[in-house]
Amino acid sequence: MARATTTPRPRLAVVKLASCDGCQLMLLDLEDHLLAIAERVDIVEFPEATSHRSSGPYDVVLVEGAVSTPEQLEQIHEIRREAKLLVTIGACATAGGIQAMRNWRDHDAFRAAVYAHPEYIESLATARPVADYVKVDAELRGCPINAEQLLEFLTALLTGRRPNLPDEAVCAACKRAGRVCVMVSQGIPCLGPVTMTGCGALCPGFDRGCYGCFGPREQANVTSLSRGFMHLGRTPAQAGRLFAGFTGYAEPFRDVITELGGVPGTSPAETPPAAGAVAPAAPVAPATPAAAGTAPHPGGRR
Amino acid sequence: MTSVTKSATGFLPRARFQQLIDLLVEDGRTVIGPKVADGAIVYGELRSVADLPKGMGAEQRPGAYHLHDRGDDRLFAYAVGPTSWKRFVFPPTLDTAESRRDENGHVSFGRVRHEIPKLAFLGVRACELAALGIEDRVFLGGPYTDEDYRARRSSAFIVAVQCAEPASTCFCASMGTGPGVRDGHDLSLVELADGFLVSPGSPAGSALFERLDLIDAATDQLTAASDQLVSARDRIGDPIVAAGLHDRLLAQLDSPRWAEIAERCLACTNCTMSCPTCFCTSASQRSDLDGHVAVTERRWESCFTKGFSAVALGGNFRPRVQDRYRQWLTHKFASWIDQFGTSGCVGCGRCIAWCPAGIDIREELNHIAPPPQAALGNGHAPEGQPRATRVFRVDAARSETHDTVTLALSRPEGMDWASEHGEFVMVSVPAVGSVPISISRRLPTGMELTIRAVGPASTMLTGLEHGAEVGLSAPLGRGWPIEAAEGHDVVIVGGGMGLPPLRPVIDEIVEHRAKYGEVHIYHGARTPGDLLYTQELAAWAARGDLDVGVTVDRADQHWLGRVGIVTHLFDHARWDGSKAVAFVCGPQRMIQATINTLASHGITPDRVFVSMERHMECGVGLCGHCQMGPYFVCKDGPVFSLAQLGDAFGREGI
Amino acid sequence: MPETEAVMPRTDDNASLVALLNATWFGANLPPETQVRLAGLARRYQAGAGTTLLAEGQLANELGIVLSGRVSLRTLVPEEGWITILTVEPGDIFGQSAVVAPYRSTSTVVALQPVDVLALDGPGLRAALAADHDLAAELYPRLLQALARRLSATRLQMLDLFAR
Repeated sequence: MARATTTPRPRLAVVKLASCDGCQLMLLDLEDHLLAIAERVDIVEFPEATSHRSSGPYDVVLVEGAVSTPEQLEQIHEIRREAKLLVTIGACATAGGIQAMRNWRDHDAFRAAVYAHPEYIESLATARPVADYVKVDAELRGCPINAEQLLEFLTALLTGRRPNLPDEAVCAACKRAGRVCVMVSQGIPCLGPVTMTGCGALCPGFDRGCYGCFGPREQANVTSLSRGFMHLGRTPAQAGRLFAGFTGYAEPFRDVITELGGVPGTSPAETPPAAGAVAPAAPVAPATPAAAGTAPHPGGRR
Repeated sequence: MTSVTKSATGFLPRARFQQLIDLLVEDGRTVIGPKVADGAIVYGELRSVADLPKGMGAEQRPGAYHLHDRGDDRLFAYAVGPTSWKRFVFPPTLDTAESRRDENGHVSFGRVRHEIPKLAFLGVRACELAALGIEDRVFLGGPYTDEDYRARRSSAFIVAVQCAEPASTCFCASMGTGPGVRDGHDLSLVELADGFLVSPGSPAGSALFERLDLIDAATDQLTAASDQLVSARDRIGDPIVAAGLHDRLLAQLDSPRWAEIAERCLACTNCTMSCPTCFCTSASQRSDLDGHVAVTERRWESCFTKGFSAVALGGNFRPRVQDRYRQWLTHKFASWIDQFGTSGCVGCGRCIAWCPAGIDIREELNHIAPPPQAALGNGHAPEGQPRATRVFRVDAARSETHDTVTLALSRPEGMDWASEHGEFVMVSVPAVGSVPISISRRLPTGMELTIRAVGPASTMLTGLEHGAEVGLSAPLGRGWPIEAAEGHDVVIVGGGMGLPPLRPVIDEIVEHRAKYGEVHIYHGARTPGDLLYTQELAAWAARGDLDVGVTVDRADQHWLGRVGIVTHLFDHARWDGSKAVAFVCGPQRMIQATINTLASHGITPDRVFVSMERHMECGVGLCGHCQMGPYFVCKDGPVFSLAQLGDAFGREGI
Repeated sequence: MPETEAVMPRTDDNASLVALLNATWFGANLPPETQVRLAGLARRYQAGAGTTLLAEGQLANELGIVLSGRVSLRTLVPEEGWITILTVEPGDIFGQSAVVAPYRSTSTVVALQPVDVLALDGPGLRAALAADHDLAAELYPRLLQALARRLSATRLQMLDLFAR
């Protein structure tokens, strides 16, 4: 027969670097399946669920968070040595997350501004995705990750097939869901065309543009899309800033942000439009975060 | 033009329009029609006339769509929006099959049958009727058919409404699909200022027509309808010349414009998803954690997504966006005609309005393939058949190399196996999915499949042991035309895993040796350890009436045989190719090198047959993945003559 | 490396050497005077399986034409041992470094089977090619063809097509 059912349960660990724990919580969010998973997978380390710590080696390690401190840098190399399969989960681990916005700026100035005793804070000048330091075998994107994708990944792991993780634009999911393109019908800038799907096109369902939580898809044509944003009345800097979300540090979002002057920490509204750019008659506010309080957070984070 | 004859046309005053909806509901139908949602006119369930977009118009331009209030009472004064009816006959996601594996390893496969809702489509435009007609050819034209589509399609009642307010993006007149409603409907309406002209288009439509409280249509109403249509047609104009577009476009595969478009194209899939005829799908498995119960989910897929054209181990036939745009446009306007006898475009303009980058295909077509014109293609409509997955049992598993195994599979009791022809089978494993595998030997009781472990699915298959069960489709595709070789010399070249698909040809020759002239069998592999069927090759060589040559790409010092690429086996051969037929299978680059050498021996392209590799997902020409120019590799191939392939062979990004 | 076995020289008259040359892909259909001239530069020898006919880096003193048997062109790859890049089959040549500066062999040539070889003297051949332009015009295209075929074959091997 194809597979012996008596194979030992794979040892799985969940490890956290610089992150908010939201992605780990998605594992707990698999409520209906959690017991079944626990029967088939030996969860040996899971800081959000148990204080018990166990040592490697592990069959699978789910790594949440960006590498932001010297200690985390050491830790990620150690994890790599111990892990047969290293899987990064969430925008922080796969793209650097929001903390990677500091990568464009003066790290020491930030540190001094935020902490009363910056001398006690040991952190790296940049917050980076795990793959910048060690080989990553698979990634689950999102801020936070999608529970169904996590379940799909675990199921594929247990049944021995390739997980069905999409490589298509958010638009494909958006259209299957029967949503109306917010960019075409309402002129709302949307990162859907350049963003990997996985969320089920949540934001366009709330008349919002995609924020890019799942990060750039393959061959993301950010140049063409940013031209589209400018066509909708955004200045180049405003257009660039629209890419500077949870996954802004991931290529090629990073490039277009830098190129158009949309670097976080500057004020894109004040940046004059570049020569030749389409300038609106009346200033148009950056479209994304303005109404954030009135709609549920797209990622459903607690 | 609309066939408004007095006898079959009545007038439904605007105030009575609800009656039409009520009658459809009375017949147990859910009425789907236009309504305003999310800043657009979309199709959704209607309960009353109040749900219709009264007085709403839609201004459309490349990349832009804006509703506006017309200030009148018209209910259908808009051009088509983002939704197409394909969603209701060909759902965006659909569970299609179910597979199970019990504790004893027994497997079973079944189709998922859905309860088909009884729908009425209200407000179908001429271009959309044409789109449904095209989908009918795709899904019901055969040889294989989509029975779910058939059920949904045949249960829908169609109320067409004449288009009077085309958008700037419309070009149905150029495509010959509109704006006048001709056929394909049950009932057709023309909206006038104070009501609707109604005419039946089918027996079911006539029955409903009889139940409506209609008054006689006045002559001036008929005139108004006609004027309205003429005005619509005038506004649409004739922005592209469809006649001859097939040939003009295919002559421009090397146009620099493709790369220019790719700079603007987002490859976001919006055009294909909103297109009323794009039919490509992908299937994936959803299972419980143990893989005991699995469901295959089919979902709309787009040729703009890179993974769509990916093959095993990271290969991709259309790696660049320009390749994918070219595939889409040339398929839609050219190879679609070769495949289905009709253009794939109805001129509805959705792909223009809903492209976030505002790419206008009319402009691109006119740039790439400007008029004037030539002739069009052909048509066919063979008998359809659904496909079934049957359970075969592994009788034996023989290891060929460290990563390759030959499975002998026996058919289920009572299956009429002798009449089943084809080159490959789709092998299904519950919770894993289906993979295409070439038949490497036909047996009276079943077949052999030689499988190399390259991915999770094939690794699992190579691990199957005696008694294991798998699901198999009937043999699919067109195999090697062995009859073309009768009375000729035969050259068989199999590189690596290209040999297994050729083994049935060798078996046939061995069985009927006298029918063929000189026979040369050449096999190349990566290393000596990767050579397949080594004992059989030795036995064939020992017969004395088969010339067998074997070579490897690299070897250690213990290998005393030949080293060099497979053409090395017959570079200097003295046989005369002018009397030979060649069958070649292997990686595409190897095939390329081989056919060059074959040509130097005098074998002409019509006598060289090659097997093409593509991403095959459904295996029966319905999912769209394996297209190569005008062909579906799964059903038109995978074996083609070089003459058939023409310059599509080896072309980048095709 | 396999142990070197004795190489058996043979003495053949010029006419029989011409006949042998004419029976090979490399030597067939050359003008009679060219064949005679080449035969004057040729010796014939036989060697047993495992014999090293030429070692990588050595001066290639002869251009060999395989009359029968099979020779392998090998190279030593650290940690992998001797890897055969190509085998040379009857009619084809080896030791072409004998006519290409700096006249040192680029691979090690080992007989895989008992071989019968027609060997053209390197310095003599070079002198003939330099002095006799008719001979050069006949011979260089064949040398180029042999090398070009090897080059394109090597490219395909580099692509490692069957690894996919």
